[in-house]
Amino acid sequence: MEALLGQALAKADADYAEVRWEEVSRSRVAFQRDQLMALEASREAGGIVRALVNGAWGIAVFTDPDEIPEKLRQAAALARKAARHLKDPIRLAPVSPVRDTVRAEMKQDFREVPLEEKRKLAEAYNQLILGYSKEIVSTSVRYTDTIRRVIFANTEGTYIDQETPDVTLVLAAVARRNGDIQQAFESLGEAAGYEFALGKEEKALAAAKRAVDLLSAQPVKGGRYTVILDPELAGVFIHEAFGHICEADFLLRNEPMRRVMTLGKRFGVEALNVVEEGYLPGRRGNSPYDDEGVPRRKIYLIKEGVLTGLMHSRATAHKTGMEPTGNARAVSWEHEPIVRMRNTYIEPGEASFEELLKGIDYGIYAKGAFGGQTEFEQFTFSAAYAYEIRGGELGAMLRDVVLTGNVFDTLRNIELLGDDFQLKGGAGGCGKGGQSPLPVTDGAPHVRIRDVIIGGG
Amino acid sequence: MGVLERVAAVAQSAELYEELREGVSVSFRGGELEKTKAESVLGRALRVIVDGKLGFASTAGEEEESLVQAALASARHGDPAPFSFPPLTGGTHVEVLDPEIQSLPPEQLMSWGEEAVRTVNQEFPDIIVDVSLARGIREITITNTSGGERRERRGFLSMYVEAQHVKEGDIWLLWVGRTVRRRADLSPEKILEELLTFLGWGEKVVPPPTGTPPILFTPRGAIVLYLPLIAGFSGMSVYLGTSPLKGKLEQQEFDPRFSLLDDGLLPFGPRSASFDDEGIPTGRMPLVENGVVKNFYYDLRAAALAEAEPTGNGMKGGLIWGGGFRSPPSPSPRNLLVAPGDGSLKELISQIKEGVIVEGVLGLGQGNIQSGAFSNNVATGFVIKDGQVVGRLKNTMIAGNAYQVLKEGLREVGGEVEWCFGGYQSPPLVVEGVSVVTR
Repeated sequence: MEALLGQALAKADADYAEVRWEEVSRSRVAFQRDQLMALEASREAGGIVRALVNGAWGIAVFTDPDEIPEKLRQAAALARKAARHLKDPIRLAPVSPVRDTVRAEMKQDFREVPLEEKRKLAEAYNQLILGYSKEIVSTSVRYTDTIRRVIFANTEGTYIDQETPDVTLVLAAVARRNGDIQQAFESLGEAAGYEFALGKEEKALAAAKRAVDLLSAQPVKGGRYTVILDPELAGVFIHEAFGHICEADFLLRNEPMRRVMTLGKRFGVEALNVVEEGYLPGRRGNSPYDDEGVPRRKIYLIKEGVLTGLMHSRATAHKTGMEPTGNARAVSWEHEPIVRMRNTYIEPGEASFEELLKGIDYGIYAKGAFGGQTEFEQFTFSAAYAYEIRGGELGAMLRDVVLTGNVFDTLRNIELLGDDFQLKGGAGGCGKGGQSPLPVTDGAPHVRIRDVIIGGG
Repeated sequence: MGVLERVAAVAQSAELYEELREGVSVSFRGGELEKTKAESVLGRALRVIVDGKLGFASTAGEEEESLVQAALASARHGDPAPFSFPPLTGGTHVEVLDPEIQSLPPEQLMSWGEEAVRTVNQEFPDIIVDVSLARGIREITITNTSGGERRERRGFLSMYVEAQHVKEGDIWLLWVGRTVRRRADLSPEKILEELLTFLGWGEKVVPPPTGTPPILFTPRGAIVLYLPLIAGFSGMSVYLGTSPLKGKLEQQEFDPRFSLLDDGLLPFGPRSASFDDEGIPTGRMPLVENGVVKNFYYDLRAAALAEAEPTGNGMKGGLIWGGGFRSPPSPSPRNLLVAPGDGSLKELISQIKEGVIVEGVLGLGQGNIQSGAFSNNVATGFVIKDGQVVGRLKNTMIAGNAYQVLKEGLREVGGEVEWCFGGYQSPPLVVEGVSVVTR
């Protein structure tokens, strides 16, 4: 492959060009109630080329490796056409060429585990959930494993061949009482081997119990609350609400937004530190290089409450005069890299859980994440379940808790940071620009925030 | 030797799905062309039944033999197939390919994008404009061992314009667009007109009425109400007991003015096709008629399990979120058509004393969809006072239950329908019983 890519790139008629060829093998087992909905061990391969000509990108996606030279010509021709329509040419920040090979590290290589065994594992979790209660009417249990091997070469002499493993497990229960339907789930993922999927019986039972408990929970009453987020939900908050606006690609041609996101500006309390960590081996989606062949780095997005960093691709780094941070990622060979997160977390503070609860007259303790979405300053995220806080003590279970707000106000409204910490990769992933689900990891301690809006009647 | 011949030697029956995707897309960011992309992807999926057991595998860019072996391995450990692959015959041919789309050069897409940027910035110089345009074809070929072949080339053309209003302390983002199958059905002028109307309405931020004021869902905003229905009318959800509509056939579960049609036969409809992703002829089927539940949609598997007939709704991917060759088929709607009532958008607005317009939300699908519950941040919404739009709302949540709202809360069904999300057509709806909470 190296010779093939080298020859093709040598002939590329472009200021810069790159080829990314990917080989993916994955297996998947899915049960819903008593139905085996998916059982598969498949392989696929495909590629993408990017050519930069006169400051414009041309891109071509393909599945036949023999077409690489032709696709490079096609991408360069598209770029040349596009360049005629361009006022502000794209340029790339310099990076040193890299030659490296990275192989997946797994305690138990899931490629050597028979499909039948994976089926048995998922089936056992499924039976556990179904058997928990008569009120469990359905389930969704899903196991996946994937190895993504990415071969990346560019006209600057970089050649990287890296593998990233990924294992995910979803354990979901659906409970029904009369007309009411409630669901609960555990969603887990790591860049690990088969061992990660084993021994999750307690998680399966927890999901089943919660689905049944939610049948008796009251819907939350809408309003403005002081809220304690558990580490999982606080992690989703920092990813959704803040992480996305630190992705420099949308600042590239957005002068007013660049002013909003000026480095050195205060965004939160002194105790607030937010980190984007480029490479944590074993965490979901982690590999030493991004999809532009740039080594990953650790950056502080917020340090002591002040904005100190943004995530960059080579293009955004050049535009803003910064160093590339290794955050250009693509979800698959069908897509070009765009600026994405990897491991995003709030560093722990000093408050115990009791201290977080203290002084809250009537509030909400929100736990687990259904998901979240952001549009610049507006964000929303859904808790999987929640509890009332009355007079500084936890009370009854609540459901349908969806939190929303303005990110800048909300960061300022963070009152206390817990002394605990959890990093978590779910089974889902992040979506942006039509590329989903991208494996990411979020982290946080418990976080207490005042004046959070919660929807409801 | 083809894949089916190879596999027929070992399997009782088999089905091969092939998807060739070719197209060009162009995107603008901050008013400038950002990238131009060409795509040519061949994906395949193989289903086999061996000793009565079902197996599945998919691939792109791999040898046929490895696809065959993967499908056979899946079948060895699979469950009994509740269905068999039917002969691929019959059905109605639906118009889904417009040669005019295929011949559109990338330059045409670029100039539409430039025109969009110019038009928006002429009226609103401070608005940041992103545009994405795409055109292409999908050629689907389905063959199985029961005989026959389905092949169809389906075209698509899309244009989406996003406007960003960025001021310190007030950032607002909205988008308008269409996905169509026929050149004549895409009007860049109309898309821009709609966007400019919303931008005009939104210049001023005003507090919304709270409590349970009347809510006007624009056709696109109404996805909040339709998303639970898309899950609830799936024959598989009904069979599994996760749909509240289970056991409700022929019952009045919605307001008598609410009718919903699943239509795969509409010429050039964005999800129209002559056959579904299992090769079953597509059809036209009422889901709700005057508020009464009439039908659910089925793929081969759900139909066999529920002892119903397949309805030509076995799709690799849903109405809102894509799928493609990697996904096994599941029951999913074709074009969903909500029957119009009376009155223009303007007339509907003029009848509301104090209310809220919902055009777009955040957090779609992030909640207990199956029960019908929704709770969303209103990303793009406006405030109505004395029959007039008086401004845009911010920091506001709506919450309710889609089934309840469409049964007890429906006040008006507008007369003008629009295509949304490349999959459904709806008029605006005025409803009550949705709670509004704001900062």
